[in-house]
Amino acid sequence: MQGLSIQPGTLPPECETLRAEVRDFLVEAMADMPALDRCRNWSGADAEFSRQMGQRGWIGMTWPKRYGGHERSSLERYVVMEELLAAGAPVAAHWIADRQSGPLLMRFAPDTLAPRVVPLIARGEAFFCIGMSEPDSGSDLASIRSRGRSCNDQRGQGWLLNGRKVWTSGAHRAHYMIALVRTGDKEAGLDQRHGGMSQFLVPMDTPGITVRPIINQLGEHDFNEVTLDDVWLPADHLIGAEGQGWQQVGTELAFERSGPERYLSSSQLLLEMLDAADADDPRHAEALGRVVAHYGTLRQMSLGVALMLAEGRNPALAAALVKDQGALVEQAMPDLAHQLFGGQVAPDSTLAQAMKYTSLAVPSFSLRGGTREILRGIIAKGLDLR
Amino acid sequence: MNALEAPDVDAALADQMIDDSVARLFAAKVDKHQRLSAETGELDMALWQQVSDSGFALLLATESAGGLALGWTSAYPILRGLGHWQVPLPLAETMVAAMLASMAGLDLPNLSNGPLTLIEQGHGNALQLGGTAAAPTLSGTAFGVPWARHARAALVSMADGCVALLPLTDAPGVVITPHTNAAGLPSDSLQLDGAALTALAPNPVALVRPVLTLGAVARSAMLVGALEFALAQAVQYAGERVQFGKPIGKYQAIQQNLALMAGDVAAARVAALVAAADAPSVGQAGTKASAFSAAVAKVRAGEAATRGAGIAHQVHGAIGFTHEHALHFATRRLWAWREEFGSDAFWAAELGRAAISARAQGFWPGITQKQF
Repeated sequence: MQGLSIQPGTLPPECETLRAEVRDFLVEAMADMPALDRCRNWSGADAEFSRQMGQRGWIGMTWPKRYGGHERSSLERYVVMEELLAAGAPVAAHWIADRQSGPLLMRFAPDTLAPRVVPLIARGEAFFCIGMSEPDSGSDLASIRSRGRSCNDQRGQGWLLNGRKVWTSGAHRAHYMIALVRTGDKEAGLDQRHGGMSQFLVPMDTPGITVRPIINQLGEHDFNEVTLDDVWLPADHLIGAEGQGWQQVGTELAFERSGPERYLSSSQLLLEMLDAADADDPRHAEALGRVVAHYGTLRQMSLGVALMLAEGRNPALAAALVKDQGALVEQAMPDLAHQLFGGQVAPDSTLAQAMKYTSLAVPSFSLRGGTREILRGIIAKGLDLR
Repeated sequence: MNALEAPDVDAALADQMIDDSVARLFAAKVDKHQRLSAETGELDMALWQQVSDSGFALLLATESAGGLALGWTSAYPILRGLGHWQVPLPLAETMVAAMLASMAGLDLPNLSNGPLTLIEQGHGNALQLGGTAAAPTLSGTAFGVPWARHARAALVSMADGCVALLPLTDAPGVVITPHTNAAGLPSDSLQLDGAALTALAPNPVALVRPVLTLGAVARSAMLVGALEFALAQAVQYAGERVQFGKPIGKYQAIQQNLALMAGDVAAARVAALVAAADAPSVGQAGTKASAFSAAVAKVRAGEAATRGAGIAHQVHGAIGFTHEHALHFATRRLWAWREEFGSDAFWAAELGRAAISARAQGFWPGITQKQF
């Protein structure tokens, strides 16, 4: 059960200097941002904000300079991330690329794709989406049916991709997709189940790609359906080794799950409640105090995961724990607001807006990036139960 | 010379030595018989003396009082061990009392003759200071005083910012009525009528309620130990118990619950470790983060205890409900300790009032600085 223990730690002093810089920047950059937009948290996208982040050197912070990175510590990056999320900054445009696509390309295509694409990510100019889920493949990723077929014609040696991806966040503004497709049979893998999958870098302006919006229950456009119809890619757009997609995706998901975004998503509603609450009301004090204790603890857990990453240890199990616990806190927030303030606030107040928005948003928090059931399955494995 | 006196070894090695000696001592010396005997109201003096002689009781106390002057990070494995092995001794209370009394310059009784306990004025009691400055006294009632019937003295923290020792053995004006907590362990009521205090000294640490707060740090670590034990027992049982042809741990319903409990335990452990790292000790009077982290830990560990005790029992089925099975030694402690030195509701309200007063703009800076 070793991996189920997270050790807390402290940040080095340079991180606190950086924290002050980020806070000053956000006060200015977000001065005119309405409370409702801050509720979007890391789903809110603003290309101009992302470019400013790139100019400040706050994208690709830990990456090598030859990829346009800044070679800063992963703990410095952690501080920037937690400050952005706590403030509800509109980070969605560059978030996926910074968090997982850039690291994936540098690791599995270090000499071919990464030198061309990663510097654009670091500048805040290249946005990514993740092509994993399909209509019949959500949690059961090994069942994907989109296919990549090797071909050789007048265009040269290449790949032809066909299939359909869904729930693709930000595909409508992304410049690239990292697509997971089947290039061989499942049984080709060592475990007879996870073989034959490969990852590709897909420029979104390639002919044959159709992006259709899937409007969510908030009435907003974040998800998409992406159809790949004879999408031709040059041979070098294969990321890593053919057939190694499953292993590579495992690495990518560990990046996805290990950040501080996994408990801060309902922060704006909490802030609105704190402004509306009465310190002398024992119900308000106790209920909000429990949230404070959860935030205090989850921040230390999240920092513990960041420290594991900084030490080169595998945080996959610890990250699953933090995400599962974090989603519970995020999802309880609108219910708590309902208990404390339901039916008592003016409809045009920022609290009422945040309540309405967040209660509609939270069901997705235990679905995206691994459902609660999948995460608990990972934890159960860590307990040696499976 | 005890095993822990090794001033030249570095801190991490010293902590590892403590961890090892905790396991050696508690695992080898504490058995079911002693746990049950404590529930009849007995203090096992032979066990107490072994633990006391090991240096644990004075671990946090000043060197001039014969202590080791170590910090709470060093104390954590011992406190966690009290929960994990369900050690039926008032060791945590004695460690806190000895630390505060020695830092305040109060003379400690010989701990080989018996333990110490703790009282925070105004929390679960109505105690009034009386007498004169030279000969102060205490009157009134107090309940929930751990192990008072066996304690040599109680370290009392006064609302006016002083601490004092209240002798309890054969002391005039002290009537002790035995009660027990949910774990069946002594949790006594005191009726004081002009009971003599040894001396008054300024509270030596930067905590408004030092007894309550440090007691919460200690109980949080103890809760984590008991939770870790209950989780390990439940996981082991789920791997052994076969129903419908396979171990029940293979069923997703069981896996999901145990995974949830593992998350709660991990959270409580992190909170308790941070509270220990931030707690005041000899040479470090504490910061505002000390009280914040203590409150966070007691809330989080208390909540984990509530949910974890339920899951551990559910996984064990009927066998875990028997007196024969060892699970209840852990779960009854979870229910007792989540209440003591401030329940999770009490500390949550403290945190909530501070956070509401700091308003939205003070919230996140408060979380990162661990103070509002």
